[in-house]
Amino acid sequence: MRPKSLVGLVVAVILVMAKIMWADADTSKTRTVVIGFTASQTGKLNVEGTRQINGLNLWIEQVNAAGGIKLPDGTVIKVAAKFYDDESSKSRVQELYTKLINQDRADFLISPYSSGLADAAAVIAQQYNRIMITAGAASDSTHKKGYTVVYQTYTPASRYLTGAVDLLAGLDPKAQKIAIVYEKDKFCTDVVNSLTSYAKQQGLQVVLFEGYDSGTTDFAPFINKIPAKVDAVMGGGHFADTSTLARQLYEKKVNTKMIALLVAPPEDQFAELGDAALGVIGPSQWEPLVAYTPEAANSLNIAWIGPKAGDFIARYRSKYKEEPTYHSAGGYVAGLLLEKAINQSGSTATAKVKEVLDHLDIMSFYGRLRFDQTPAGHGLQVGHDMVYIQWQQDAQGKLVKQLVWPEAVKTAAAQPIKAR
Amino acid sequence: MGMGRRTGFWLPVVIIFFWGLAVLVLQDDTLREKVFTLFMFVGLASSLNLLLGYSGYISFGHIVFFGLGGYSGFYLISQHHWSIYPAMLAGGVLSATLAGLLGLAVLRLRGAYFALATIGINEAARALVGNFGPFGGATGLYVNFATYQQYGGAGKALWLTFILLWLTILIILTVSFMIKDSRFGLGLMAIREDEDAALVMGVGAARLKTLAYMFSAFFPGIIGTLYFFKNGNVEPGDAFQLQMSIEMLVMVMLGGQGTVLGPLLGAVTYQGLRGYLLTSPIFKNLHLAMAGLILLLIILFVPTGGIGWLRERLPRLRKVLE
Repeated sequence: MRPKSLVGLVVAVILVMAKIMWADADTSKTRTVVIGFTASQTGKLNVEGTRQINGLNLWIEQVNAAGGIKLPDGTVIKVAAKFYDDESSKSRVQELYTKLINQDRADFLISPYSSGLADAAAVIAQQYNRIMITAGAASDSTHKKGYTVVYQTYTPASRYLTGAVDLLAGLDPKAQKIAIVYEKDKFCTDVVNSLTSYAKQQGLQVVLFEGYDSGTTDFAPFINKIPAKVDAVMGGGHFADTSTLARQLYEKKVNTKMIALLVAPPEDQFAELGDAALGVIGPSQWEPLVAYTPEAANSLNIAWIGPKAGDFIARYRSKYKEEPTYHSAGGYVAGLLLEKAINQSGSTATAKVKEVLDHLDIMSFYGRLRFDQTPAGHGLQVGHDMVYIQWQQDAQGKLVKQLVWPEAVKTAAAQPIKAR
Repeated sequence: MGMGRRTGFWLPVVIIFFWGLAVLVLQDDTLREKVFTLFMFVGLASSLNLLLGYSGYISFGHIVFFGLGGYSGFYLISQHHWSIYPAMLAGGVLSATLAGLLGLAVLRLRGAYFALATIGINEAARALVGNFGPFGGATGLYVNFATYQQYGGAGKALWLTFILLWLTILIILTVSFMIKDSRFGLGLMAIREDEDAALVMGVGAARLKTLAYMFSAFFPGIIGTLYFFKNGNVEPGDAFQLQMSIEMLVMVMLGGQGTVLGPLLGAVTYQGLRGYLLTSPIFKNLHLAMAGLILLLIILFVPTGGIGWLRERLPRLRKVLE
């Protein structure tokens, strides 16, 4: 071979090698993480589960459209979703999460909606040491089982109605008596047990504590037991029974300063109760009215992440043609949390991301987020607060939803229930 | 003829044995979870078959034994730190004892009255447990993750649960065949055909029915304990799902009541069908309605189920399909 040809060959080989190395280097800079979850697309949790997944999918779409999660070393992390329908059934959840981890190689997990399903999924997440964000689960007990990689976005059930006690003290510092009527299921029982303890700590008397079975439609026996001159009626359960309870409290002319009920009041359909809805207060994980801002985060000296509430609402509305609810916000924020933790840790390794999550203290449009780091309650949400809405009348006498607590985000002052 | 020499006995046992063995050899966690769910339904359907198939008594609320047994076993594990082995047996024994006591009362009823009473028992048990303090009331019970450490960690505990379920299914199939092949089974089948005639012929109907009820309650109690132990928690809503009772009935009827292989075939077919229905855009919200329709069609056109139909059409297969 002539020297010229030899030189040419060497140059060609070098060029090819360089091209291959360049291509390799280029690929190594972009990675895809798989986020695995189950969605309750069928079964009793279909509506809430779908909203949660809508929120999560919106985050995935946005993070990928923005070029992915950029790590300090220049690596770009793209996000891919892998999910299955869990049929709102516990018997399917463990099977599907095992599949997500082993077959689909999910790097991170998001829980299904509801405490029951999230509980079943958490065992599998912990077993395989995969970080799981529980996006729609308020149970405290999930975080008292010794898990170390499960993180909650919802304010736990134990703090759902405790704010209502503080609100009552603001409405009437002399208030002394509360009556509690609640649905006897896991979530509501957890809520009212904590409510009772807190009310007693605050010097209130619980003059009635009655549970009703799921599906109850006649509350007369419970309402008749409510003593006269009670300062507040609290409790309720899920949408249908709570709405009926509110209506029957109105029909039976129960006079009290405050009615604070679970789940139903924040829903827009609750206004269809008309006068029976007026003055009723309800806790919510998040509402479109809430205006947490980067300035609020600054004042607390903590980091702000993600879009402002207005941006989130507009994008959600444009994509799904409906108003976002706290279920949707919970799904979106679960993604934001992972984004922040991956970005800050500069890695997708469980140990490094976990280290960041453990010490995270941040604020987003959804509110503040911080996790319990103690072994007794690891991953429990301790930063986020419930917001309380109240149905009030505007100048035209139309029912409108107002935020009445906490002070930092309220849009109107809480009002006592009018005499019935 | 001894059961050891009967193909009809060996066929279902061999199927389940090799199925479980394949999962163990492959060591595939995903496959294990899938087969666990399937085996659970095979076990529940086969247990119901001990009562429904052999004595003809239709229990619409049989899931109560899965729930109560499971709750009791789980209570012993979570509150008294029992090991899974005695706890699952205790769950089974408690279910069987309860069935014995309840049977004294409800087995005096026949037909629709008995079926209605069993639904009532399930609902009463759900209400009782939901208000029973030691069982955690409406909030239920849970185990700390550290509990799994005594079995070598959560991963090994899940494998252990699978193996225990697998062995339980093999025992259920053996017991099912032994009952069918015994004087006891003959008495039950006489009751199924005509209880009054059986009484006249000297069959101790009350005792045999109660025993069958106890056997059919014992195994769901064990399965319930294993299932809730695997889940890590138990709540009243999960333990007493009437829907599961109806699905168990569909499985038994679909495969063939009164046969050993039938519930196995029914459970596998129904689970496959259910998977299809739930992912089908047309039927995904109608899977229970479809289950009801299948039950209706079976009762109208194939009352003996898949195995019964095959036995009638192909007499040569009668020795193989028990």
